[in-house]
Amino acid sequence: MRGHGRESVNRRLMIPLLLGLLCPPDAFSVDVDVERGAPGTIDDAAKDERPITTEDREHWSFRPLRRPSPPAVKNARWGRNPIDRFILRRLEEKNLVPLPPADRATLIRRVTFDLTGLPPAPSEVDAFVSDPAQDAYEQLIDRLLASTAYGERWGQHWLDLARFAETDGFEQDHLRPNAWRYRDWIIDALNRDVPYDEFVRLQIAGDEFRPGDPDAAVATGFALCGPDMTDINLKEERRHVVLNDITATVGTVFLGLNIGCAQCHDHKFDPISQADFYRLRAVFENVDLFRDHPLDGSPREESSGRKKTTKSKEQKQTANQTAKKPGPPMGRVFHEQGSKRKPSHLMVRGDFKRPGPTLLPAFPRIANPWGERVAPSVAESLPEEASTSGLRASLARWLTRPDHPLALRVIANRVWQHHFGEGLVRTPNLLGTTGQEPSHPELLDWIATELPRLDWSLKRLHRLILTSATYRQASTGLADTMVAWTEDQRRQASESYRRSLELDPENRLLARQNRRRLEGEAIRDALLSVSGRLSVRRGGPGVMPPLPREIRNSIRKDHWKVSPDEEDHRRRSIYLFVRRNLRYPFFDVFDRPDSNMPCGRRDRTTIAPQALALLNSDLTLDAARHLAGIVLTDCARLEGAARQRAEIQLAYRRSLGRRPDDAEIELAEELLRSLTTRLDAEGRPSEDLALPEPLPVDRSPTSAAAFTTFCLSLFNLNEFIYID
Amino acid sequence: MPNVTLPTDLPPGGTRREFLAQAGGGIGSLALAAMLHDEGLLGGEGSHDASSTRPRQPHYPPRAKRMIHLFMHGGPSHVDLFDSKPALKKYAGQPLPESFGQVMTRRKVAKNPLLGPVRPFRPRGASGLEISDFLPHIAGCADELAIIRSCHGDSVNHPQSVYQMNTGSILMGKPSLGSWLSYGLGTECRDMPAYVVLPDPGGAPKGGPPAWGSGFLPATHQGTLMRAGKEPIVNLRPQPRFSGGEQRAALEFARKLNRRHLALRAGDGELSARIASYELAYRMQSAAPALVDLSGESEATRKLYGIGEKDTDEFGTRCLLARRMIEQGVRFVQLYSGDTGGWDAHKNVLKNHGTYCRRTDKPVAGLLKDLRQRGLLDDTLVLWGGEFGRMPMSEQGTGRDHNPWGYSVWMAGGGVKGGIAYGATDDVGLRAAVDKVHVHDLHATILRLLGFNHEWLTYSHNGRDERLTDVAGRVVWDVIA
Repeated sequence: MRGHGRESVNRRLMIPLLLGLLCPPDAFSVDVDVERGAPGTIDDAAKDERPITTEDREHWSFRPLRRPSPPAVKNARWGRNPIDRFILRRLEEKNLVPLPPADRATLIRRVTFDLTGLPPAPSEVDAFVSDPAQDAYEQLIDRLLASTAYGERWGQHWLDLARFAETDGFEQDHLRPNAWRYRDWIIDALNRDVPYDEFVRLQIAGDEFRPGDPDAAVATGFALCGPDMTDINLKEERRHVVLNDITATVGTVFLGLNIGCAQCHDHKFDPISQADFYRLRAVFENVDLFRDHPLDGSPREESSGRKKTTKSKEQKQTANQTAKKPGPPMGRVFHEQGSKRKPSHLMVRGDFKRPGPTLLPAFPRIANPWGERVAPSVAESLPEEASTSGLRASLARWLTRPDHPLALRVIANRVWQHHFGEGLVRTPNLLGTTGQEPSHPELLDWIATELPRLDWSLKRLHRLILTSATYRQASTGLADTMVAWTEDQRRQASESYRRSLELDPENRLLARQNRRRLEGEAIRDALLSVSGRLSVRRGGPGVMPPLPREIRNSIRKDHWKVSPDEEDHRRRSIYLFVRRNLRYPFFDVFDRPDSNMPCGRRDRTTIAPQALALLNSDLTLDAARHLAGIVLTDCARLEGAARQRAEIQLAYRRSLGRRPDDAEIELAEELLRSLTTRLDAEGRPSEDLALPEPLPVDRSPTSAAAFTTFCLSLFNLNEFIYID
Repeated sequence: MPNVTLPTDLPPGGTRREFLAQAGGGIGSLALAAMLHDEGLLGGEGSHDASSTRPRQPHYPPRAKRMIHLFMHGGPSHVDLFDSKPALKKYAGQPLPESFGQVMTRRKVAKNPLLGPVRPFRPRGASGLEISDFLPHIAGCADELAIIRSCHGDSVNHPQSVYQMNTGSILMGKPSLGSWLSYGLGTECRDMPAYVVLPDPGGAPKGGPPAWGSGFLPATHQGTLMRAGKEPIVNLRPQPRFSGGEQRAALEFARKLNRRHLALRAGDGELSARIASYELAYRMQSAAPALVDLSGESEATRKLYGIGEKDTDEFGTRCLLARRMIEQGVRFVQLYSGDTGGWDAHKNVLKNHGTYCRRTDKPVAGLLKDLRQRGLLDDTLVLWGGEFGRMPMSEQGTGRDHNPWGYSVWMAGGGVKGGIAYGATDDVGLRAAVDKVHVHDLHATILRLLGFNHEWLTYSHNGRDERLTDVAGRVVWDVIA
């Protein structure tokens, strides 16, 4: 989500800046005084601030969190946990009936993509489908949650919010050589199931809670992930833009409030004053920006001369890393120079040249019904040796109160959203008055209050949601897909499905599971995975696979240096280098956000370049050749018609996680037959054919190449890039 | 069987409408554009409609129906091209008088001696508009031009200014003018996207792709990069190893299976849209190369653009492509002249601008003449300009630093007065001084020419009605005929 605030601020601040050029240099101080003296001007907003009214506090998301009891339902037989009662209650009110559970093959593919971003292997599907255990599904979830792929999947969701990139943006788009450490920290923290309250605390104030702890230092990279105009002339302007970005980001990500809207003027719709914005910003005012700091948590006072070089900065930094042993890795993390606070001001009309009245750090009033104060000094819970103001630690504690109505509703909604494709609130970054209302307010509150009860464990929350009958529902009621259903179930399912489509076309009530398109990252990972090519390497600096030729020629040569080790080209998408000014083309066509503002919900467009990427790119060609190679090799010991049938089946199972039916086998046989005939007739030399890799020795090149084409066509099925 | 119509290609609700719109001519008549941009997209904050590129009517009868933006990247020097300053000539070699006050510059050139215009200016055409000898061909079209000599923007830096000229904001990530036009007008042509960018083969402008990004508008409205030559669009061509019947066979197979898949998921408009997008992608593979195939153009036309001449061949080819796209109904074509450095003449204006003027002068004039003779100029708006101008003070002796405080752009064609100059900079060309035109004002004027009230062309994002001109913008009526 992108706020308008930064833009307005800059446009506005630039106008006075322009005036400044025409005025004598001391005009600014005069200007401020005039502003202060004039009646009705905004400079005294802190005093004239509109109080929060009872009515303001009535908006659903500002109301206190209460723990609702799961409602009574008519059909007490349906449902597996309290979530289902909240869902069923609303369905019953509308006379809708939930769909039966999806069959096991569908379910394992859904939940595997959901938790790991990868397709299940055929052996995993077989094991699950035939698992006699009562709790086979629960065991499956536990296994997936325990895999490292979980963090690699859910880490990306968080990195979207953190507007993560490994460069500065703007003209030079300089490298941030250690930015990957934050990405790795996120993946690792999720995999270790760091409790969400701690996860937040470390990202806001890891340096204060755990001075000297490298992990905690790296975590604070969160707020500083955004774009930065390193080459702007005015340092004050740069600082102002970055501090406002941090403040707006914290508001959006943790509170679901677009408080960035209040940097130039009071928020037009939400009860957030301009003073609220700058009071929150005051919490970050002490942060030492624009210098790299040690990522091992060690204190450091002097800057290491990064400033000096501009031209060969990137080479130098890379060299620094590898050549000599220069001490701890350095990067953009929170660091303060002692506990003495810098004064902070309301910036008149968001103009960095016009500091208004001094403000004290405080939490946005509407989100702070308890009137909790920012700790006045280094708080008692901070270790003795703390050399910081303690302001951020105070903010972090406040954000993780177990009764925080906004913070908890926000995270509950985000987790739900990534399991269902849509949140209970469909505007996950906007819980204020301009956002949408929740479809199930009580359910949202129940989950929000449940998280602290689960010791803030996100994994336990996933498990809770995933084991609900609501999650397990089929996404379609047309029975042919659901082999396990009884005749009765089929009849009922098709009827409920029809009614759900008719009465609730957007599926807000969840009488069925949503169908979801995979993100570009997951599609790429799936292509690599089903073709047996996915590298298992984890972590480390972002890697750069080759770019399409057309793009390679249009960028600065030093902006994309293809990684020398070919295996690195096949690593999971989350490890690809993130250049702010150049989205990786395959992800770009599949709606990857631009990493300038926190993105809580990706667009999902359907455009022809996506089809072109899946049909014509090197990525899909390679995947098709390797999938064909694996399949043909694996079936090489068979003979005759059985062999081809087995090949078709295996290709289906690897790419789509299911067996083809007879009609599908026939279609595939027909494709292979006609294409082989055609290729034979064409008589192209075999080096011009898309041969499988490896090509089994006894295989005719044309029939093998036809099989590669068959594999390519499987990647172009809707089924391949959709969950369900 | 369930009581649902099966199988169906027609999704319910909003997407059904879009689907019908695109299927209206029958799949057979659909081509590049529709595929690129009109497939019933879901998601985003706006209505489903917001991502469509079906043609739409603007607020007023438009004076221009389409636009070509000739972006001279790096910052062409107004005081050497379109803004004759006798005083600058007179005071050359002396420092800027104190009376001009403090000047913010990129490279601390404020105290450097003034540099006179490096080539002479002369009155041109019936209008007598003064244009430099750098641009003899464009000077020959003087009576078509409305030169705005009082433009100004907000940043002395390239990327910020490139963003601002494109999006109104100096920050990355806002929708560009072309995206707003695609969103507001859609495209009448189903063979091409609404917004096409022809980058300089030497490299992207400073700041890169966000310059033609769609920001918070749906991705369907972002600029599509096209290049001259055999591979105009990324991944357009089938892999050489699938050069026989492979791709068609794969598509055919996928289509059959996708329909089976859809049959059991009736009502999913997104799945239907994807099926259509494949059909369209397939056709696009022949439509786009046909567009860049210039073999049908006459020798006279090629000569007009300087195609075949060493200096002008490259830019001339792109100018001709721009005309061909405009003819096809593309709304907005943007051409960049200048690689990552481009017109950024810090060191030697004569040499730098000599090179870039030689490359672009004849092709640009050729484009104007060709549009005129084909009757296209009446409703095609042409905009020429950079992200800013250059300082009257010298840099490194014979160069000039960036100047966003005052510079020139010109417009020609659809609805614009010909042979006029609007506004003025101060005596030396340092700052816009008379009838100042901020980038927001320029955008407001362009939108008006294309039929929009810039305050009404909005998109609701994060609870705010966003627009190209933010909270500013004033239409410069005096340049509108």
